[in-house]
Amino acid sequence: MASDSSIECSNAGTRRQLLKSSAVGFGHLALNAMLANTVNGSGSIVHGADGDPLAAQVPHFPARAKRVVFLFMKGGPSHVDTFDPKPLLDRDSGKPLPFDLPRVTFAKQGNLLRSPWKFSRHGESGLPVSALFPNVARHVDDLCVLRSVHGTNPAHGGALLKLHTGSDQFVRPSMGAWCVYGLGTENLNLPAFVTICPTLAHGGVNNWGSAFLPAHCQGTPIGNASLPASRAQVKHIANARLTGSQQRRQLDLIAAMNRDHLRDNPAELALQDRLNSFELAYRMQSAMPEVQDLSRETDRIQHLYGIDDPVTQNFGRQCLLARRFLERGVRFVQVTHSDSEVQWDQHGNLYQGHTKNASEVDKPIAGFLQDLKQRGLLQDTLVIWGGEFGRTPTAQGSNGRDHNPHGFTMWMAGAGVKGGHAYGATDEYGYYATEDKMHIHDLHATVLHLLGLDHERLTHRYAGRDFRLTDVAGRVATDILS
Amino acid sequence: MSSGSATNFLIATVLKRGKAVCCAAGCLLVLTLLDLSGSVYADDLEFFEKRVRPLLVKSCYECHSADDPDGGLNLQSAAGVLAGGDSGSAVVAGKPEQSLLIEAVRYHNRDLQMPPDGRLSDDAIEVLQKWVRLGLPDPRTNAPLASGPSMGMSIEEGQQFWSFQTVSAPTVPSVRQTDWVQTPIDAFVLTQLEQRDAEPAKPADKRTLIRRVTFDLTGLPPTPDEVSEFLADDSAAAFSKVVNRLLDSPDYGIRWGRHWLDVARYADSNGLDENLAFGNAWRYRDYVVDAFNNDKPFDRFLIEQLAGDLVPDANEESITATGFLVLGAKVLAEPDREKLEMDTIDEQLDTVGKAFLGMTIGCARCHNHKFDPLLQSDYYALAAIFKSTKTFGDSNTGAIKHWHEHSFATEEQLEELKKVDAEIARLKSEASSFKNKSMADIQITARDKAAEYLMAASMFDADASLKEVEAIARPWQLHPRILHHCRLHLQYNSDDPVFARWHELAQSDSSSRQSASDEIEKHYRSLFQQVNEALVQAKKTNPKAKILQDVRLEEVRKALFDSSGFLTVPAKPEFAFDDQTLAEYHKRMEAARIAESGAPDAHAVMGVSDGKVLTSLPIHIRGSHRNPGEPVERGFPKVMLAAAAQPELPPDQSSRLELATWMASANHPLTARVYVNRIWRWHFGTGLVGTTENFGVLGDRPANPELLDWLASEFTNNSWSTKHMHRLILASSVYQMASSHRDSGLVNDDPENRSLWKFPLQRLDAEQIRDSILAVSDRLDRSLKGKTVPLRNRQFVFDHTSIDHTKYGSLRRSIYLPVIRNNVYSFFSQFDFPDPTMPTGSRHSTVVAPQALLLMNADLVMDSADRFATMLMEVPQDSQKVVQAYLRAFARPPTDHEIRRALAFVGESSKTKAADSDVDLTAKHQAWSLFCQSLFASNEFIYVR
Repeated sequence: MASDSSIECSNAGTRRQLLKSSAVGFGHLALNAMLANTVNGSGSIVHGADGDPLAAQVPHFPARAKRVVFLFMKGGPSHVDTFDPKPLLDRDSGKPLPFDLPRVTFAKQGNLLRSPWKFSRHGESGLPVSALFPNVARHVDDLCVLRSVHGTNPAHGGALLKLHTGSDQFVRPSMGAWCVYGLGTENLNLPAFVTICPTLAHGGVNNWGSAFLPAHCQGTPIGNASLPASRAQVKHIANARLTGSQQRRQLDLIAAMNRDHLRDNPAELALQDRLNSFELAYRMQSAMPEVQDLSRETDRIQHLYGIDDPVTQNFGRQCLLARRFLERGVRFVQVTHSDSEVQWDQHGNLYQGHTKNASEVDKPIAGFLQDLKQRGLLQDTLVIWGGEFGRTPTAQGSNGRDHNPHGFTMWMAGAGVKGGHAYGATDEYGYYATEDKMHIHDLHATVLHLLGLDHERLTHRYAGRDFRLTDVAGRVATDILS
Repeated sequence: MSSGSATNFLIATVLKRGKAVCCAAGCLLVLTLLDLSGSVYADDLEFFEKRVRPLLVKSCYECHSADDPDGGLNLQSAAGVLAGGDSGSAVVAGKPEQSLLIEAVRYHNRDLQMPPDGRLSDDAIEVLQKWVRLGLPDPRTNAPLASGPSMGMSIEEGQQFWSFQTVSAPTVPSVRQTDWVQTPIDAFVLTQLEQRDAEPAKPADKRTLIRRVTFDLTGLPPTPDEVSEFLADDSAAAFSKVVNRLLDSPDYGIRWGRHWLDVARYADSNGLDENLAFGNAWRYRDYVVDAFNNDKPFDRFLIEQLAGDLVPDANEESITATGFLVLGAKVLAEPDREKLEMDTIDEQLDTVGKAFLGMTIGCARCHNHKFDPLLQSDYYALAAIFKSTKTFGDSNTGAIKHWHEHSFATEEQLEELKKVDAEIARLKSEASSFKNKSMADIQITARDKAAEYLMAASMFDADASLKEVEAIARPWQLHPRILHHCRLHLQYNSDDPVFARWHELAQSDSSSRQSASDEIEKHYRSLFQQVNEALVQAKKTNPKAKILQDVRLEEVRKALFDSSGFLTVPAKPEFAFDDQTLAEYHKRMEAARIAESGAPDAHAVMGVSDGKVLTSLPIHIRGSHRNPGEPVERGFPKVMLAAAAQPELPPDQSSRLELATWMASANHPLTARVYVNRIWRWHFGTGLVGTTENFGVLGDRPANPELLDWLASEFTNNSWSTKHMHRLILASSVYQMASSHRDSGLVNDDPENRSLWKFPLQRLDAEQIRDSILAVSDRLDRSLKGKTVPLRNRQFVFDHTSIDHTKYGSLRRSIYLPVIRNNVYSFFSQFDFPDPTMPTGSRHSTVVAPQALLLMNADLVMDSADRFATMLMEVPQDSQKVVQAYLRAFARPPTDHEIRRALAFVGESSKTKAADSDVDLTAKHQAWSLFCQSLFASNEFIYVR
């Protein structure tokens, strides 16, 4: 950090002004960044509100979770085949649904279709999990299974946007961006919000964008769904043509030129920021590969995540990468299980598709939970699992299920939520959420609450309006809080 | 949380919500006070206190209480219950069947269910029904009736608000320092400075000025020749000559057309849910660039974009302009078509309001505007006009609806395209039949080895890794993934009678597995044999026979032939196929994709036309198309009618033309003000009104209201000519000031420079950065116009594969690079290119580290630096190389100190060997390239003084 000493601040007042003057981010190299804050597990570092916008912020009230990881199952896993058993569905398979279908459905609906998988009870809680998730089932006492989640949009694009941003009609800041907006980050050398192998379809960048929130809130994609996790990179993070010393010398020249320019243009705060941004970029260039270097993990850990098995290696890498980001203080990590062909979208061949998908994620997720727990990270990390919607208990074609946003299952684990607990319910066939219904807005309100943020107070004024993640809705599901 | 603090918390948050957040629920509109007939008896009041009140408190108050209750319904007082909410009366005393409240708690109507988180108990529902039957006995008088503001500002108050008043024609103020006044603009600015006893900055030097104006008008840096020509011209008209040259250059339209494209939220793809290519959007882009180059009067420009299909002299050009209304991001796969239509209209109203009027009309969709004098009825009066407009076509791609286009294709062209379409369809079907055939072959092979699969499956546990399975599959020549699935299938279907024997025989103990496997083979080989023989027999009697009469064998046959049974072939070709088959499949897929991407489109333009004309539209209560209220006639926002009267609206047309003409009148209080403010923003980096899209109550007040009005009237008095405004502004002393002014007292009093005591330093926009890097290194391709998105109209940009086929290697000006919603080119998005779904008049200018990474590592920058260095290598002396580089990059020669520093850097850098590189440069060349790249990355390059 030798070159930092050349940055002189005439007085603190000017510095504060400077910091406020420009929206900067992953990052902004401000005075605080020079202190190189990284989380050490002893508690969050709190900076004044007029410091670096990315510096860790004080939440509205004491937080139960310090960070969030969202394991997103793109395409819509079926709840009645995974975590929400329906004995009547089994009994009445082949018969018509005995009540009305929604006014709008995505595709034509057939009769009820039983689940091809058996459920069995697990753990001390005895919560049922289907045969699709034998490894995750071993952690069932840590899961808070939300069986009454519901949204509004029955198409992928709308539902993804709704889940990630709270709006299926407009471009709005994503859930992760709101978390960063509210809490900043605990490691200024890394992005505050990363999304690992996200899908570029169905909302794409908007699902991790910052929309009108400051640019530093946006998610940084590591690769995308078309790339194997082993090849996932942040764009422009490395230079194949230059040696480190060449680039160092070049940055020194740029800094010298910029200092001269600053002397001729005093009181231009952005110029100072820009000078600093090159130093941070240079540090990120080394910080990022270090996080992504999974070879630093032991064989035992690699095995735990299934990295030694072709079926699980891709999602296993993604999960292990997530853990490495989380333990370095990244605030929000999303891990997407997508696929260039099948995804969790079984309009047909439910059996085949869900078998493939579940066998790719089951072991890595279980390993991830176990690893977080062993490291003491689970107690202040909120883990969320789920897709953009569930699937219908009725058949589409002969052996598939259609999209169902009216009632489906997600689960949470870790910081602040009850383990071994099932919350809410769908009707006896699993079509509609009926008890303790939890709308996507309620899910968002609850996630923010767990982070110590009041979803009604976390607002941002833009174009004459104060916006929130939860728009005008959202209730915290207090019953699930531990 | 204790119950007491919970209540306080709730009240606090509801109050907060009322104050700050604009919402879908809102204000009380319908006040239908019911006559409470009949007297209320004490018993009934007791019933209320014992049963009803606790229920309301527990299940309803959280949302339906306090100042701004959800849905406008306040259940906290008797008056509130009777007043009802946005959806009308909540209850009809004595009549549960007619009461919405009862309908809601019964949960029969899926669109109306309360409480939202789950149905009340039957008992509780009965309590409420009884309460209604009893005539709503209710002693609560203490809690006030909701008094939330019905709107932020009344129409009358609104007419007094600055932006709704007629544009005045202010007289030019007299000032002390008269020699500084070159245009009336200067007098308006100087009078403010003089009032604060402040001096404007000194004039900028000529090098600074030509760099500033060239970037400003063309988005490019001046060439060294242009700079020296200007320096050599001592005439008084030297600067205006430069301005005229630049305004006449086609680059002017590229720069200023791009400004308008920001406002028009221009993109080459839909984005949002289903990202289909807007293969004809480029025609609108070229229309805008031409409009600026030809100085199309802004009133006409406005009218064409809103109603170019309806003007008396409509032609392809004017119809192309209506692409403005179609370019928005739409939820194309929305299955609820009514919702889709109203959401699209909302997007259009939001865009039209922000782009031309500086009004957030969209905020009045669900309720009266919370801050501005816009009624919900104003919204639906406008919505009726757009509801009478066709924005969608009649075709679709599966569940994905197509936007409306006007065809200009000839019969011959359409005939020709049929062949192209057929060829694409053939290639696609070839690829998919290849895939299906290959999959079927794998299935047959697996079925032939069905017994082997069952044997092999008995050799490992269900949780074995694929790696272990592969080792077992190899000697049998089985497909590892099928075998892996087979074992899982057996696990999942342990009660399937076909596999009962397998489960009996299979052993978990590895030592006895071999003998078990032999037994399994014995049993199943003969079983499958029997099935095959029975099938052959059956086909002898009936060649079409597919099933077997023997019930037991038929079960086995089903299992054997079930494509998602124990011999399931992976659906993913990468998992199913061997390398050779996979390569062949990819080759065919790619051939189909390339054929489609490169295929010509029928000549068509995106645009609207009139649809079924509605002269009125019901208010949508709380913005829901499922909840229609009072119908409103088509019309224009009332608060603006005092300044500009509304004409008769034709019953047989949408009235878009009348709306556009009304907006484009000189009397309109907003249109000219909003546009001249945009021009000011694009010259000075900040508008006179900072919030370029919001001239309402929450927007900024103008920093210099007299100047804004003077500019607006000057604009409308001069045929709405944009170039006239440029000439005026650029000739001003204000524009020609230096960007630093050390001695000004305003450094501290007005650090944001709102009073313009100096010219504001501005960072280049994304396009300017890219284009100048290319221009300085002599790589820029200056060709104009045409389709540049590498996709066919309506082709998927991104499908489920997430593969990005859009490339940004083109060296044309940035305006011709594709704008892909949901995945904007990273060079653009990092440098604050606006979100192409929202009108943007004021881009941000952030400083983030990824920008530095881009300039340090991106190929575009490094290739350009290499090329720049190649040019320099032809300059004989090293010190002259530095001079040339500075002249090209910064429009100035270097100082001696800078020359020495550059030479020292190059000397030092030449000593180290180049890293791995596919570009084979000499060490010296690479050192110069590093130097050139440093120039690109420097603040002097990126900022304009």
